[in-house]
Amino acid sequence: MSLLSVRDLTVKFSNRGQSVTALNGISFDIARGERVGVVGESGAGKSITGFAMMNLLSRPGYIDGGQVLFEGKDVLKMSAREQRSLRGNRMAMIFQDPMVTLNPVLTIGQQMVETLRAHRKLSHEEARQIATVKLKEVYIPSPEARLDQYPHELSGGMRQRIVIAMALLLDPQLIIADEPTTALDVTIQADIMELLLEMCRSNMVGLMLITHDLGVVSQVTERTLVMYAGRIIEAGKTRSIINDPQHPYTQGLINALPQQTPPGSRLKQIPGSMPSLNAMPSGCPFHPRCPLANDLCRTTMPKVVQYADVEVACHEVQRLQSDLTSEAAQ
Amino acid sequence: MLQYTFRRTIAVLPTILCLIVICFFLMRLAPGGPFTSERPLPPAIMANVLERYGLDQPLYVQLFTYLKNIFFNFDFGPSFAQRDRDVNDIIAAGFPVTLTYGFWSAVFVLVLGIPLGVIAALRQNSFWDYVMTGFAIFSQIFPNFVLAPLMVLTFTLALGLLPGGGWNGGQWEYVVMPAVALGTSYLANVARITRSSLLEVLGSPYIRTARAKGLPERTIMIRHALKPTLLPVISYMSPVFVYMITGSVFIDVFFSTGGIGQSFIDAAYTRDYSVILGLAILYSVLTFVLNLAVDLAYAAIDPKVRSGLK
Ligand SMILES: Nc1ncnc2c1ncn2[C@@H]1O[C@H](COP(=O)(O)OP(=O)(O)OP(=O)(O)O)[C@@H](O)[C@H]1O
Ligand SMILES: [Mg+2]
Repeated sequence: MSLLSVRDLTVKFSNRGQSVTALNGISFDIARGERVGVVGESGAGKSITGFAMMNLLSRPGYIDGGQVLFEGKDVLKMSAREQRSLRGNRMAMIFQDPMVTLNPVLTIGQQMVETLRAHRKLSHEEARQIATVKLKEVYIPSPEARLDQYPHELSGGMRQRIVIAMALLLDPQLIIADEPTTALDVTIQADIMELLLEMCRSNMVGLMLITHDLGVVSQVTERTLVMYAGRIIEAGKTRSIINDPQHPYTQGLINALPQQTPPGSRLKQIPGSMPSLNAMPSGCPFHPRCPLANDLCRTTMPKVVQYADVEVACHEVQRLQSDLTSEAAQ
Repeated sequence: MLQYTFRRTIAVLPTILCLIVICFFLMRLAPGGPFTSERPLPPAIMANVLERYGLDQPLYVQLFTYLKNIFFNFDFGPSFAQRDRDVNDIIAAGFPVTLTYGFWSAVFVLVLGIPLGVIAALRQNSFWDYVMTGFAIFSQIFPNFVLAPLMVLTFTLALGLLPGGGWNGGQWEYVVMPAVALGTSYLANVARITRSSLLEVLGSPYIRTARAKGLPERTIMIRHALKPTLLPVISYMSPVFVYMITGSVFIDVFFSTGGIGQSFIDAAYTRDYSVILGLAILYSVLTFVLNLAVDLAYAAIDPKVRSGLK
């Protein structure tokens, strides 16, 4: 049994009585200790997926069906109390900008201690001890002193280390990290990412890493989900996705990488932009930007099929596949 | 923090001095004086009176004497219009009145306004939210000079519950209406500010973090949301406090409380230089003290401000 399975998860936003679909029945699994990357352009629904998994969507967003099975139990059907005991304890979250995700009026120590004590019967002193140990694990110098500091007194990199330590406090099974390094200086991004990888490896923690950065995905994760307009359009081993992407969108993402571009020439961006939620095209949502789009793509959403080493939702890929099978049959 | 308070106090002294000098000359610039009237006094008597109050001296000598008395004797001089009373007496009589109902007015505003705003934010578009919106509109349509007569009509004339004016040593029946009439419009604003501030805080990333840590809802509200929510309320209240405690001329006159606002009006009519000046100084000192208090409250809540103070 996988640690986490998401089944047909649908999220909508209601807007003046109308609702738009932000996540369109997505399904995926994360095994114990597995590191999964989630990539896609801005607005694809990556963050929404993370929040929905914790059942932490805030209005006007709401879950309109589907399951989030954590160790076989549906998080969405649990009582508020059970959900709370899961959050921060079994499943932790790391957000983008530690300057705004840590409470500015509470010390680091207060914010760590309260997390521990919300889930375990500990005295204040014991909780502080554990917090100190965790800060040490993420290589924070003089951890004792840090506990009494406020977030604004620390550097961005230090804050994000603290956030990672905070996520690890209760030895969770899964960490959802939503662009944990985007707000940081480029020079420390790699350090933080390496730290996160090391922590997940040594503690056997599953990781769902949401990011724009395909380079990071290939370094850190074992499997990758590619999202587009609220759907997972391609999923598989990170190696296969990076080296042999099947979906034209994924191919576009990879071709747009600076490494794929000869020095001095322009980056090969995918033309156009992601459709907005209230102007979703018919059929495959990628067809207006797709070089291979045909009439079928404009009318029907493709089903997910297994092809090469990946699962992919694309009519063109399906055609290739059926060509192959018919060739094989002859 | 103490050092900061001390520094601020030292820094404000020159400001207050400037203010005294400016007020002093401004008042003398206006034509007329405390002893001009329809029927001019005989010149001999006039000279006598002027000499008694030192008004025959050159202006700079008057100013100097005035400052000397303030700084060395804490004496703001005699009233020019009310014989046998000096400014200290007038302030000592009127200020406690204003301070009392001003204080209760502030209590009324905060104790009702903040919870009302919180409820409205937590139950958006609920009954209480509409009550608050309705109340905010109501208080804009009925400013205190409309509200006060309405209250007297209702509670004094129709129901006979509360006295329509007077002070009577500050018994609570006499304090209620001045305090409520003075505070109502601020109450609505405080509720509105609290509501929008709390909504913003609740939508902030650190509240999401607190939820993601699995903290109980109560901890989230009290520990994480409350303090940041109050910051804009404190900013808003800082000038309002000064206004409330120095009293509203309208409230003092309408309810005949004998508060300081009444003295101010009287002094302005009679060109009672020393009283006007004394009250101006009182207002500016209060403004300073309350602003300092608000800044300290801000620092107590926000560690970023606190470390800026050092
Ligand atoms: N409060 C909201 N109301 C309406 N629509 C929303 C709201 N929050 C998010 N959305 C929409 O949901 C979609 C998915 O948003 P999401 O934040 O998951 O994108 P993302 O993939 O994380 O993008 P990014 O890379 O920019 O973080 C977007 O189209 C966004 O406009
Ligand atoms: Mg996002």
